[in-house]
Amino acid sequence: MERVGAEDQAFHKNRRKVTEGDLPLGKPAEGPLEDYEAVAIFRAQCLSRNLDRRSRKMQAAGDGYYTIGSSGHEGMAAVASALRPSDMAFLHYRDGAFQTRRSAQVPGVTPTWDMLLSFATATDDPLSGGRHKVLGSKAMNIPPQTSTIASHLPKAVGAAYSVGLAKRQPPEHKVLEDDGIVMCSFGDASSNHSTAQGAINAACWTSFQSVPLPLLFVCEDNGIGISTRTPRGWVAANYSDKPGLKYFHADGLDIFDTYRVAREAADYVRTRRKPAFLHLSLVRLYGHAGSDMQQVYLPRETFEAWEDDDPMLHSARLLIDRGVLSAEDVTSIYDEIEAQCTRIAEQVVMRPRLNDAKDVMASIIPPARECATRSPPSAEERAAVFGSDIRQMEKVQPMSRLLNWALTDLLLEHPEVVMMGEDVGRKGGVYGVTQKLCDRFGRERMIDTLLDEQSILGLAIGMGHNGFVPMPEIQFLAYLHNAEDQLRGEAATLSFFSDGQFTNPMVVRIAGLGYQKGFGGHYHNDNSLAVLRDIPGLIIGCPSRGDDAAMMLRECVRLAREEQRVVVFVEPIALYPMRDVHEEKDGLWMRNYPSPERRIPLGEVGTTGDGPLAILTYGNGHYLSTQAAKSLQVEGIETRIIDMRWLAPMPTEGILKALEGAQKVLVVDECRTTGSQSEALMAMLHEHCDLPKARIAARDSFIATGPAYAATMPSAVSIADAARHLWASS
Amino acid sequence: MKQTAVVIAPGRGTYNKAELGYLSRRHPDKAELFAQFDKYRADLGQKTVSELDGAARYSLATHTRGDNASALIYACAYADFQTIDRDQFDIIGVTGNSMGWYIALACAGALDAMGGMNVVNTMGTLMQEHLIGGQLIYPFTDDSWVEIPGRRGEVLAKMAEINSRENHVLDISIELGGMFVLAGDDAGLAAFVEEMPVVQDRFPLRLANHAGFHTELQKPVSALGMDALPEALFSQPNIPLIDGRGGLWYPKATDLEALWDYTLAHQVTQSYDYTAAIRTAARELFPDVFIVLGPGNTLGGATAQALIQAQWRGWSNKQEFQSAQGEQKSLISMGADA
Repeated sequence: MERVGAEDQAFHKNRRKVTEGDLPLGKPAEGPLEDYEAVAIFRAQCLSRNLDRRSRKMQAAGDGYYTIGSSGHEGMAAVASALRPSDMAFLHYRDGAFQTRRSAQVPGVTPTWDMLLSFATATDDPLSGGRHKVLGSKAMNIPPQTSTIASHLPKAVGAAYSVGLAKRQPPEHKVLEDDGIVMCSFGDASSNHSTAQGAINAACWTSFQSVPLPLLFVCEDNGIGISTRTPRGWVAANYSDKPGLKYFHADGLDIFDTYRVAREAADYVRTRRKPAFLHLSLVRLYGHAGSDMQQVYLPRETFEAWEDDDPMLHSARLLIDRGVLSAEDVTSIYDEIEAQCTRIAEQVVMRPRLNDAKDVMASIIPPARECATRSPPSAEERAAVFGSDIRQMEKVQPMSRLLNWALTDLLLEHPEVVMMGEDVGRKGGVYGVTQKLCDRFGRERMIDTLLDEQSILGLAIGMGHNGFVPMPEIQFLAYLHNAEDQLRGEAATLSFFSDGQFTNPMVVRIAGLGYQKGFGGHYHNDNSLAVLRDIPGLIIGCPSRGDDAAMMLRECVRLAREEQRVVVFVEPIALYPMRDVHEEKDGLWMRNYPSPERRIPLGEVGTTGDGPLAILTYGNGHYLSTQAAKSLQVEGIETRIIDMRWLAPMPTEGILKALEGAQKVLVVDECRTTGSQSEALMAMLHEHCDLPKARIAARDSFIATGPAYAATMPSAVSIADAARHLWASS
Repeated sequence: MKQTAVVIAPGRGTYNKAELGYLSRRHPDKAELFAQFDKYRADLGQKTVSELDGAARYSLATHTRGDNASALIYACAYADFQTIDRDQFDIIGVTGNSMGWYIALACAGALDAMGGMNVVNTMGTLMQEHLIGGQLIYPFTDDSWVEIPGRRGEVLAKMAEINSRENHVLDISIELGGMFVLAGDDAGLAAFVEEMPVVQDRFPLRLANHAGFHTELQKPVSALGMDALPEALFSQPNIPLIDGRGGLWYPKATDLEALWDYTLAHQVTQSYDYTAAIRTAARELFPDVFIVLGPGNTLGGATAQALIQAQWRGWSNKQEFQSAQGEQKSLISMGADA
């Protein structure tokens, strides 16, 4: 028998009130909302409400798995009416009514069928393929919404920023229209989150200096976050007077008022290309989610008052008073939709669901996309861009210079590549890696951002949604940590939750790792990549020499541009300027600039030497092992040094091939022992290879400033000692 | 208990020799309605639908002409719709194929009976007068109504390639279940017929007296239609309508200007996706039955194919559809056994 929950009882009470004319008081209908549009909004509200109730019934029957609903927030249907379906919308999880209204604006979308499939986690759920109950739709320009609070706001800022640049320099895979706007919504409680604060601040910062940012923030203020009440007046006090941000307020229970104000706000954003903050006052009905017993922490009269203020009762009142619908029309729409949802729910639960790891994981890696093949830039074009640098190319150079040239070639060849970060533009980066790029390609493609890593990554993610291939830079590895959710929870999950339909390709450049002589201490020499290594689908590259760096970076951009991958490229700071290996001015660590078409494919490792003692390493470890190898050679121990180059996915096949003929293997890892690459390497060697093995990794410590800067990490001496010890052991 | 039903109105090519006398045979009780239709046609100097239906013999030249066939099919289908037993069936949506869209508008109440005749007859007459381009049919499914891997892409690639040639036009006219109806100019159609393999002994099949409907070739006809048929003819439907994109138009929630524009501009000059219309009806409304109005029953196959493509009720081929149909009918053709 079908479950009858508190939400059903409340709904039947609602229906009875319509029949009896016991409707809440409120302002009469006013504003530009046409009658037919008002009915369309009302229908979307009814459908959304019914889907909420249906989700709880399905869960009770063991057929559904997600019950956070949109009840009380159905005014969002009027916001959808005020926007265009081509305006990308990053939604709050209570925006079912926005989605049902927008569905009616896009012919061929079947909202009831689609959303019930997602409740049932059926594989033919058109958004996530049965992976999650999420709002979203490719056809409707609604990327899948996520549940980590407010984490979608930074990318909304990025997507909005991309609109103007895409108009002037359209990328091949452009998505958003030139006069489009971006909308993102969130709750009153979420607005307090530092991610929301950061994104809103980034929008203000951008707008304040008159950089176009067509972004509509919609704050759905129901006055409570799970059990914690939002102080009365807090949202308005917080956001009504922000620099560069225009504030609008509407009664979210009144579709006429909401539509009127949302239209004004959307028109402001569209015509002025400036951000606006639309504050909607709403109520929350039936608790936070199906499992939330609001009577435990709320006085009964509070949520009963909310039920009396049900936005659907207000819509019914407005439409009846205006003579558009009768009470019978209202209840017959209720009944028609109830019957429709019942019919479809019976069907969707019979659809197949995912049931093995392979199927679940099928969309972690996005599909490749067709990219136009362009002729590479001519010698003349390159000469014009490189200027005097072209003459330098005959000589060997350190890594920072070769990276700079590789970036120059990539920006020249691919107009959709854009870079963003702290000081990447006019200054040319803290270490000069991006020098001259601003002069060569303009400030629009070399974006100096504000000091906020969440905003940098959000900018990249959002621009990736609109066809760009962003290359955000995180100035130091330690600065990634306050923003890592933008990669972990957002960028890396987008393909997974959208069944490969939405993607945000990018190459995140991070200057990192240790060994800067006496400079900066821990925060500029962080030596842990653990935070990146376990993210499904993420590619991590880490070069050790300049020529490799240039060729790997080209592969990274290819992976992003053609295969839509999210790539992190960790550049060892200490190796940027490195020239010599064994003695001063030997110049042995420098290389010539490899010609622009040369790449090092993902998974290809580098091997130097063919001795029986293999040293398996990466980054600074490669450099230090090269030093160690010389002293070992003097002692008659011949080595082969294997540079992994690609840390994730682990290049197991390449490593095992490089180990063929070796007798012992030493793993050298500059990162901290716990959580480091060496742990994974030792496990892999244990599973796949019988060679005697040992490892040397950094101690589980932070990095000191001053003479002890490298004390906790492997050195050429300690590597040589470890090698001797392994070689001597039986 | 009432069954929920979505009603489908047929398009051109459904009134054939077997249908001669359909109105008098099936609908002797609707003389008053037909008299109105006849008067409308007579006033325009056109043969009345009663004359056409009551002709001694079926004439390809007369009965398939756009200005005659359209009105005749409209009269049959509209009359069929009136006879559906509302105590047995709760009609929860109406759709149509191609010209059937005009009929659907009338069945749903967005046009009244004479408004429907006006739209159908005006557009049919304009199409006949201008007769721009033509149509052909080509399938991409096998005998079991299962899509032949790669065939759809091959057909579309060939079509695009021909369309790119100088002085050749070829485009999708209708997505019709397991078939494409392609439309183009003579050169485009001839090239396709010449260069594509013959399948099922008869395809590519050119359709006599059909223009290149649902393509940009019809822009002049669309412009004339919009001049002749004002928005005031349209009113709110009383049953949800599903259009040739799979879009839904709900009672009291329909933008009439948009409906007028879709009817006389968009669907006249852009592809008509009947498959999408059926998919939306099947999934979003999920009726117990689909009822295809007469005349004729040629739309049943395409409808079943579209349902199979939508994996409706789990069907994946013709046999599963037929087996389900044997147990409980989900597809009723009113025009069968004319």
